[in-house]
Amino acid sequence: MFILKNAWISIKRNKGRNILIGIIILIIACACTITLAIKNTAIDLIDSYKNAYDKEVTISFNRENMMKDFDPSQDDDRENAREKFDNIKSYTISDIESFADSEYIESYYYTYSVGLDGNNIEKAEIESNNNMPNGFGHGKENNMSSTDFTLTGYSSQDAMREFINGTYTMSEIADNAWDIAFDGNYVFINQELADYNDLKLNDKIKLESDDGNTYEFEIIGIFKENEEGTGEPMSMFSNSANTLVTNASAVTSITTSNEDLKSTINPTFIVDSYDNVEKLQDEFYKKGLDENFVLQTNEELALSGVSSIENINSFATTFLSLTLVIGGIVLFVINMINIRERKYEIGVLRTIGISKFKLTMQFVAELVIVSVVALILGAGIGAVSSKGVSNSLLESEINNSNERTEEIGKNFGEENTTGGMLNRGGRGEMRGKGMPVVQAYDSIDAVVDIKVLLELLGIGLALVLVSSIASMVSIERFSPLTILKERS
Amino acid sequence: MTNKKKNNYIPKDKLGNNFVHKKQTINNNEEKESKEKNTSLKNIILSIKNASYRYSDAEENDYALRDVNFDFESGKTYAIRGRSGTGKTTLLSLISGLERCTEGEIIFDGKSLKNMNLDKYRNSDIGIVFQSYNLLPFMTASENIILSMDVSGLKIKNKREKAIELMEKVGLKENYADRKVLRLSGGEQQRVAIARSLSYNPKMIIADEPTGNLDKQTETEILEIFKKLAHEGNKCVIIVTHSQNVCDAVDVIYDLKKIKEENNK
Repeated sequence: MFILKNAWISIKRNKGRNILIGIIILIIACACTITLAIKNTAIDLIDSYKNAYDKEVTISFNRENMMKDFDPSQDDDRENAREKFDNIKSYTISDIESFADSEYIESYYYTYSVGLDGNNIEKAEIESNNNMPNGFGHGKENNMSSTDFTLTGYSSQDAMREFINGTYTMSEIADNAWDIAFDGNYVFINQELADYNDLKLNDKIKLESDDGNTYEFEIIGIFKENEEGTGEPMSMFSNSANTLVTNASAVTSITTSNEDLKSTINPTFIVDSYDNVEKLQDEFYKKGLDENFVLQTNEELALSGVSSIENINSFATTFLSLTLVIGGIVLFVINMINIRERKYEIGVLRTIGISKFKLTMQFVAELVIVSVVALILGAGIGAVSSKGVSNSLLESEINNSNERTEEIGKNFGEENTTGGMLNRGGRGEMRGKGMPVVQAYDSIDAVVDIKVLLELLGIGLALVLVSSIASMVSIERFSPLTILKERS
Repeated sequence: MTNKKKNNYIPKDKLGNNFVHKKQTINNNEEKESKEKNTSLKNIILSIKNASYRYSDAEENDYALRDVNFDFESGKTYAIRGRSGTGKTTLLSLISGLERCTEGEIIFDGKSLKNMNLDKYRNSDIGIVFQSYNLLPFMTASENIILSMDVSGLKIKNKREKAIELMEKVGLKENYADRKVLRLSGGEQQRVAIARSLSYNPKMIIADEPTGNLDKQTETEILEIFKKLAHEGNKCVIIVTHSQNVCDAVDVIYDLKKIKEENNK
């Protein structure tokens, strides 16, 4: 107890020096609070980015494997390759359901496409055959290129990547469209097709399969494709002009009634971790996936959006380290001078029997008392300043996130986007798949929370310990009798 | 006594003014032996046995202090005298536990200092008084004394009252208690230093030239305090000095010069 009493007496006695130490610690604390708050916010933002991307795994065709040992100049090779290609075993919806039954998979969705001809509508004239919006492109889809239209069914809103990533934007939509879109024969059609056939919302279109069956669909939305043309110079229509968007169950009912119809399934699996993808692939192979398919992830895409924030994070780390190193050195030097000034006091106290440990504790206690006061003030000032500083540093990210969020809403035909969170008729939360950010940030709160305060406390203690090394070494080294003789 | 030849116990005569003469008598082995026997029967609080001290950077035979054998009894005042370089300060630092003997040992109250916690020894068993007082200047007289009580771990209810009582014991009035020590005269500061050394009731007081900075009158008063502490308080008072007045006032004188000369032979 007398250690604290002595420490307090010493603090009062050396006001000037302790105020100087306090100011230095206050500046360090303030800088650290702001930096830590920014750093933590940046980390949260990075996590938010990463979480905004579901950890997606898709099945891709392993072209590299197919092209191995293939020499196009050799007729035999070409024949063998064709044979090999035709023999690839495709997968069905029940296969996908079986694949999805895995401990590594959290959820899944898919698109299911089938080629049909028009019955009461004509296909928009384009140079090339219709294209699959999202096909993996193995040989069997070629059968669809001979039909007028591609009817693409989505298993859920999550699967509607073209709308999420902005390839398609809804230009007209029925009021209750999202309530019925996944339950019945409803379609979204391309604006060009609508114009070409003079179609409008709530019109009914008929499609037919090659066996003569007809299927009626009601138009509940009209969308535009934002990408430039087909890439073919003479084409006046976009890729999706003859793509009809519906739900997967509508396509399933068509393919069930006509097993000869060729269809394409593109599943997307949401996994718990990218680390398990190899294990998952092995599991798929065991469950019957042809080994000419491989699993691909969206990890690279997920990480691409966070580079600027990571730069801010690393800048904050560097700034924090520099502040601590410089601050630590300054405090160490001040403490060293302090000890030299108080050599006599140390000599007297040691002579009357205070132990080195208790004496060191007294010096540490003095520094701790000053530091705690300065840290509290520094944390307060830092907390007030951190929001403004972080918002200005992360301004571009805030703007980008807002713009992207608004875009997603508009793609789905939403006029007023609030917060980028869409909820459709109990079909679950609509999240911005494929988009880096779903939350709208009008500002980023660089929160000085308990974590920051604990980190600050740790930094404070580390600084006190570092600067106390001067006292510890000096007290250990000083001979009390020599000090007192020098004084005498 | 283990080393009879090197024992420098020099009894002082009752007139107390003929050290040289007494020192000559100490060379008589028979008298030395009888003195040792007498001493061993008495209340020895501190024994220095073949104590030597060599600085860590000194050459092999370059001792600051060599083969010292002294005994100190409770209830007596002692003077350790010697010219500069005879090892007075070194002996003081050994006795006060600020340094440890490189050879030999010091026994305090039956225990070797080698096996004792020297911080505890300094803050509980002995009191040290310096020529330059060594009080903390930013504290008042009573705060200096209370600090010493705190360091010793003394648990009493009213330390300030005890401090004032001690100050009065060494001739300082109560109104000095709250004065910063720098506002006190040399004699007053030395009294505070003595009061501080008494604050935890040690068995032994070690004083290094305690009257070196004081005038004759004050010196006499301070020496009276020491004598009173020894004779009435049954404390052992050891004064390191080169002052003849101090030597005249104490009961026993140990002469380091003699030892140095014998060692140099």
